[in-house]
Amino acid sequence: MSPHVIAGAEIGPEVVHRVVGAVVAAAHGPRGAPLLETVHETVYAETQRLADEPPGPRTASDQAFIAQLKRALPRAGEHELERRVREIVAHYADEISGRFDRRVYAVATRMLPGALGRLLGGGAVEERLLLEGELEALRSAVAHGTVALVPTHVSNLDSLIMGWAIFRLGLPPFAYAAGLNLFENPLLSFFMNHLGAYTVDRKKHDPLYLATLKEYATTLLARGQHGLWFPGGTRSRSGDVEKGLKLGLLGTLPAALARSLEAGRSTGMYVVPCTLTYPLVLEASSLVADFLRREGGPHYVELDDEFARPRRWAAFFEGLRALDLRVHVRFGAPMDIVGNPVDASGRSLDPRGRPIDVRGYLSVRGHLTPDAARDAEYTREVAERVAHAYHQGTVALPTSVLAWAVFERARRDRPQADLFRLLRGIGPQTAFERAALCHDVERLIARLKVLASEGAVQLAPELVAGSAAAVIERGLKTFATYHVTPVLEPAGHRIAVGDPNLLYYYRNRLSGLPLEEATA
Amino acid sequence: MSTRVTVLGAGNWGTTLAALAGSNGHPTCVWTRSAEQAAELNGQRTNRAARLSLTVPDAVRATTDLDGALAGAELVIVALPSQAFREVMARASRSLEPEQLLVHGTKGLELGTHARMSEIVRAETAVRQLGVVAGPNLAGEIAAGLPAATVAASPFPRVVETVKGVLSSSRLRVFAARDVLGVELCGALKNVVAIAAGMADEMHIGENAKALLVTRGMLELTRLAFALGAEPETMSGLAGIGDLMVTCASPRSRNHRVGAALARGQPLDVALAELGMVAEGVWASRSARALAGRHGVELPLFEHIDRVLHEGLRPREALDALMQLEPGRDVPRLKSPKAWALPGRRPTA
Repeated sequence: MSPHVIAGAEIGPEVVHRVVGAVVAAAHGPRGAPLLETVHETVYAETQRLADEPPGPRTASDQAFIAQLKRALPRAGEHELERRVREIVAHYADEISGRFDRRVYAVATRMLPGALGRLLGGGAVEERLLLEGELEALRSAVAHGTVALVPTHVSNLDSLIMGWAIFRLGLPPFAYAAGLNLFENPLLSFFMNHLGAYTVDRKKHDPLYLATLKEYATTLLARGQHGLWFPGGTRSRSGDVEKGLKLGLLGTLPAALARSLEAGRSTGMYVVPCTLTYPLVLEASSLVADFLRREGGPHYVELDDEFARPRRWAAFFEGLRALDLRVHVRFGAPMDIVGNPVDASGRSLDPRGRPIDVRGYLSVRGHLTPDAARDAEYTREVAERVAHAYHQGTVALPTSVLAWAVFERARRDRPQADLFRLLRGIGPQTAFERAALCHDVERLIARLKVLASEGAVQLAPELVAGSAAAVIERGLKTFATYHVTPVLEPAGHRIAVGDPNLLYYYRNRLSGLPLEEATA
Repeated sequence: MSTRVTVLGAGNWGTTLAALAGSNGHPTCVWTRSAEQAAELNGQRTNRAARLSLTVPDAVRATTDLDGALAGAELVIVALPSQAFREVMARASRSLEPEQLLVHGTKGLELGTHARMSEIVRAETAVRQLGVVAGPNLAGEIAAGLPAATVAASPFPRVVETVKGVLSSSRLRVFAARDVLGVELCGALKNVVAIAAGMADEMHIGENAKALLVTRGMLELTRLAFALGAEPETMSGLAGIGDLMVTCASPRSRNHRVGAALARGQPLDVALAELGMVAEGVWASRSARALAGRHGVELPLFEHIDRVLHEGLRPREALDALMQLEPGRDVPRLKSPKAWALPGRRPTA
């Protein structure tokens, strides 16, 4: 298959045409916002946003764009307003659109494995990044239709890892919806742009931006372009596996399928969840600090995280190499736009395995019929199933199991404390008998084995084969490698908590699983 | 425009719904397991087993062929007892298609799994455009043409609109709602409160005491439903307080009759045998207790009724125990758990 991502220039005019058409039609309808109101909303939202943006060339050009809009509005008639709406939408479409370049893709995919391999501690990337799960089903979904690959979001490394995974599996390139912040680094930006990434600015909330972004994603999918995005929106702050997913881009799937069917394409539209599990997380300290700050107090402070600090990168990869640690990239089973499983030939199946025609979900009396409320409900359902698949694909590791056991011990000592009081109360003096923890870890592993046999979670090889004592040892070694303060430290026959916030962060990877009883 | 309707179940509610759809001119098919019942509906146009005095309109046709009944239906209405629901859905799944709309009128939870009926439909079939019909709807009154209202709840506007078109008439108003979870929980759990009301009536403990039981029951129901994700506003609607009023006030309601029989000292199996129909509250109390335990919600009234039903506690003892509980706030505030609330110590409503 030739590597090709549909570039912004190819679909830009269609996107602008469709968005402007819909906005103008709505303005003339009984319930739609008048054009002037729509443009005002953009000007207002953008003015608010830009007031908080740090100075830079992008901010300056956005400010100039809004300023000339403001000047033009008082004199604008209906035609002029329509022209302005077109101008705004074209401006957004241009910002969103990717600039895929075949040559850059070819060079980058040749370089990526080597570069990633060196980063990950030398040697083959395959040894560090384990591609697991429904790989054949993913390949078959790609062959039979258009795939939306939706991974959990743990670290900024996820983008690189997913890029490598797609290449390694021999899949065609995916259009990747990436946060605008990733484009601020000139080198990353160059590759992102040319590898088929398009930008998502989470700070823009005005209806024209959201409509343009959605239309861009819909048009790509409808034309058969595979897509990749993180429905969690941002990296998980608390370390939890995401539960509440953002519905925006997932919500483009029903319309994209309908458009593709209308155009006479008989291919399917599939969602493939993917769970990333890291034994250590590069940005864990900043992420959990941010989470606690947000939940504990009213003020949100912008991150300056480890991702921006090369020395932390080096320490992180050094840790992975020294301990022979592995990142698990686990693909879930493909599902259709309402969450049904699909078979090897891409057909949707009902819960009893009978092939069904997915077209029916979008039809009334046999005809494809648009219905935004219906599609929104399908999207909620599919998001729920994706979140469920994330949990099923999560790999329980020595770090998360040990963190869980220690955290529960700490909770038991302070049963009345809420999370913040509990974390404040844990200090260097907080230590637990290794023997007692060994007992807890043993019970946890037994419980996790039952859950794994039910398909609720995956187990790392260390948990399947090793003793509880070995799991604790492995966890301690891993925790001692990378973080400035070790999460946990051996102290004679006891184990002491070094960093309570990180303890909470790593423990959270297993939250959502019914494990409380095992450590009661 | 007429809608092709299929009703699964020819009990008194299923037959009533089919008759409503038929009298509005919609071609309606009723599926029943019983060949005699189907023959009676098609021949004499009556349904004596459902204890209804109505004549079914000509637009209604009965069959025992499940696949045939479902083929081509635009709206499927399921009115089956909760404990038979999964089995029939599993059989129906081979004939249900993605385009079809489905609502159910079953007020119960599945024993053991505590699943709601819409969850069973999702788990067993390809249908996604789902809803529920519930409210203060004594089938006998509606069949007799007395004025009434019901709620059609679904997040799919087309489901609500289609149900309105099929069931609405000058005698029956159909209100719209989105909260399927809330409507289903109200429908299932109010039956437990109705059993308490039946006991109170039979024990002659006075109107004050009955109001006390019903109100505390409603608050407990709201607390549990909220913890499970329902919208508390649903409880003040027709499917909530409306249904609770009719079930608790009417000695004709099945669950009320079971409560009264227990208060007379009848064992549960005898009371159910005499009733001859399903009383959903008998099983819903089990589910309520299990769900409350899972979500850390306290339900003293539900717990005591459940103990009367299944653990041999006498109604009088249950009443005495409830009267001795330390009264807390009348209407406690409902609070959503924080994102960081630790399981096992989740703040309860």
